[in-house]
Amino acid sequence: MATPTETNAANPLREGLISRPKPQPCTVVIFGASGDLTYRKLIPALYNLAADGDLPSALTVVGFARREKTDEQFRQELEEAAKKFSRQTVKDELWKHFADSVFYHRSEFGDDDGYKRLVEKLNKIDKERGTQGNRLFYLSVAPSEFEGILTKLYAFGLNKSAGGWARVIVEKPFGTDLPSAQELNQIVARTFHEKDTFRIDHFLGKETAQNIMVLRFANAIFEPLWNNRYIDHVQITASEPLGVEARGPYYESSGALRDMVQNHLLQLLCLVAMEPPTDLSADSVRDEKVKVIRSLRPIVGEDVAKHVVRGQYSEGAINGKNVIAYRKEDRVSPTSMTETFVALRILVDNWRWANVPFYVRVGKRLPKGGTEIAVQFKDAPSVLFNRETLTSGANVLVIRIQPDEGISLRMQAKMPGGTLRIEPVKMDFHYGTSFGKASPEAYERLLLDAMSGDATLFARRDEVENAWKFIDSIEDAWHKSPEPPILAEYPAGSWGPQEADELLQRDGRSWRRL
Amino acid sequence: MPETAAAFAQGIPVEIGKIDRELKKLWDKDEGVTTRASLLNLAIYCEGTEAMEHNTKLISEITQTHACRSILIATKPDEPKSEVHAWISAHCHLSRAGAKQICCEQITFLLEGRTCGLIPNIVFSHLDSDLPLYLWWQADFSASLDEQLWSWVDRLIFDSQAWSNPKEQFTALRSSLAKTKSRLILCDLNWTRLIDWRQAVAGLFDTAECRTHLEHIESGEISYAPGHHSTALLLTGWMMAQLGWRIGKADKNQFTFVKQDGGEISFELREEGTHAVDRLRLSGSSASFQIVHESGSAFLHEEIHLPGGQTYHYMVPPGKAEIVDLFNEELMRGGKHKVYLRALTAVESLL
Repeated sequence: MATPTETNAANPLREGLISRPKPQPCTVVIFGASGDLTYRKLIPALYNLAADGDLPSALTVVGFARREKTDEQFRQELEEAAKKFSRQTVKDELWKHFADSVFYHRSEFGDDDGYKRLVEKLNKIDKERGTQGNRLFYLSVAPSEFEGILTKLYAFGLNKSAGGWARVIVEKPFGTDLPSAQELNQIVARTFHEKDTFRIDHFLGKETAQNIMVLRFANAIFEPLWNNRYIDHVQITASEPLGVEARGPYYESSGALRDMVQNHLLQLLCLVAMEPPTDLSADSVRDEKVKVIRSLRPIVGEDVAKHVVRGQYSEGAINGKNVIAYRKEDRVSPTSMTETFVALRILVDNWRWANVPFYVRVGKRLPKGGTEIAVQFKDAPSVLFNRETLTSGANVLVIRIQPDEGISLRMQAKMPGGTLRIEPVKMDFHYGTSFGKASPEAYERLLLDAMSGDATLFARRDEVENAWKFIDSIEDAWHKSPEPPILAEYPAGSWGPQEADELLQRDGRSWRRL
Repeated sequence: MPETAAAFAQGIPVEIGKIDRELKKLWDKDEGVTTRASLLNLAIYCEGTEAMEHNTKLISEITQTHACRSILIATKPDEPKSEVHAWISAHCHLSRAGAKQICCEQITFLLEGRTCGLIPNIVFSHLDSDLPLYLWWQADFSASLDEQLWSWVDRLIFDSQAWSNPKEQFTALRSSLAKTKSRLILCDLNWTRLIDWRQAVAGLFDTAECRTHLEHIESGEISYAPGHHSTALLLTGWMMAQLGWRIGKADKNQFTFVKQDGGEISFELREEGTHAVDRLRLSGSSASFQIVHESGSAFLHEEIHLPGGQTYHYMVPPGKAEIVDLFNEELMRGGKHKVYLRALTAVESLL
């Protein structure tokens, strides 16, 4: 089978045209095509790629879902969605051409006849549209549906393709704990090779997340300081003013720790903490990330109360408006013990990071929305200028993931005047200021990567399982221990429970002001 | 593209020796309301006062995407008096988030009479330090280009489509490059104009099924709009260089290329149509490939006819036509244009 790289190398006209291989023609089959993700993210992303000329010419989309719908109805719905959610203006001429490559396939996920017809449809598309037997299956469905769909794909031979390739993209949540993740992985592994399995984490598709590696490994000034000798601690924050909105039932079964920390925030932590990979191949990068996850000091038993704070929002105010408590949200239990906030003190047990805590916090109904990584350096020695300094003058490097992506560095400077007064100043780089061009959406990058077979920005099986292993011991202490740590309350619109502040105060530190 | 909030481009006249001081005053006046941004030095060389106004408008648009310090140098060598005039101005626009005014500064020089030799000094003394220097040369290259200036330039931008005598200009460019031995990267906007066309042509042969027919091409044809002969030549030169075609015979716009296996291709350039490149057709004994930019369409339409009646029809973006879009596109791309230099050599064999 020709890989995209081979294909591009074999075409002499491709030389110098693009820095990344253009994917081979393929059919993207979206399971759960009538779901929100298809309309809000996947189709707008594919349309944007088509408008930028980044898609393989023969790309075809097949939406697989249960509802009765014709191709034409599906296309019309998608057009409305694309007009609403696409980064670029939808042009009628291109949309018409794009829509001609979109088909709807109605079937139950467990219906043999539906898969039989799918095989026929895909073969016909290969012949008529030149997609060469290349298939990308996108499982945009609840995890409970994974096994059924994958079993059918295997049974009908769709997990391999004689003339091309077959890959699968799996949406989060990938399991709810280690056993379920392992089981899911086994199910996937029975159907697709690991190299053909793409576990999506849209945080990794964000430009700033990708920039962490560039910042660290393309600049000579940071890496020599990137260790426990110079770094005091790291804070990773993901805050949002929103509540659970319409996701009450899902959130009840997941909570902040499973929903955000197990995947997104641990991925960011890995990018900050990992060693330089030997090269930029998917496995080299993921090997280094796995080493970080495996080096996380387990938080078990009584340590959970010491190193982890969980909280749930009570009623309060966001942006001047009163909001209800979590337990009064739609389809949420009035006695719910689900955490909407979590703060962790994580230690990475390796030479580079020994005794450097990574404080991670995530929460809903917090005053401001934003995701950032703050690397706090150690204080300069208290001699000369710093003898009189009362407040901490430590340098802080902040990587803002969203919104207003950018990087800032805080340093000390002398205030103008006859007396020696030192104040912190900030060097601030904003993507939006320096680069006028908008970044592509995360899903655009990730879809294109999956079509090209590049798994660098996707989680590997061992990454996912080791992350669950770390999370499970905390969940066990919360839910299986006879004396579980308290679930602290915090008013909506505050920066979380007092206990979260105390978590850092015990170490003589405090959370950064966002 | 962010909305332009303000552009006071008419400029404030300044004394040459006080430019830095006046620029500082300009920024001090806004009391921190705006953010000055600069990622590169953009020097533009043009001829005549009309070009000055046109370029000021271009800079205003460019700074919305690429924050830079721009140094616009216009010359009027035929003026009897030798004088240098200078202005400073700023281009401000709202950031993408809409919350901030981002401003970039422009320094404009008008060199009259025998002052044109001052260009290197003007550029050197007004650069924003540590930032790369991009020089957009909007005139013919002369044989006496300043070597030191050349050695400071990171990217040399020009548009070979505007050249009246491409053969002479390519030669002048080559000789200047040979002298400087600098790290300078050539950025021909005419080459940028062809990016999407080259993508489209390459896309025709991405699959093994189509690629097998590439070796069996027997004839080709490119239609181009009046004034875009050099654009069509570059596209032809690129295919020649990448596919190993050599020139056999040349008769104005009719060429015979010799393939690596000794086979021949008859190739024709036709001046017809409204787009820089309007149509490309490649045919072999059993397959044909065509890309058309139909008038009224915002896209290129690709048609592939393979043996057995198999036909594919695709649509791809048509590429940029406006000069400011070409410039912005070029700045988003990095690296040396090895392929361009190879295409250039092939083009020279056609001239």
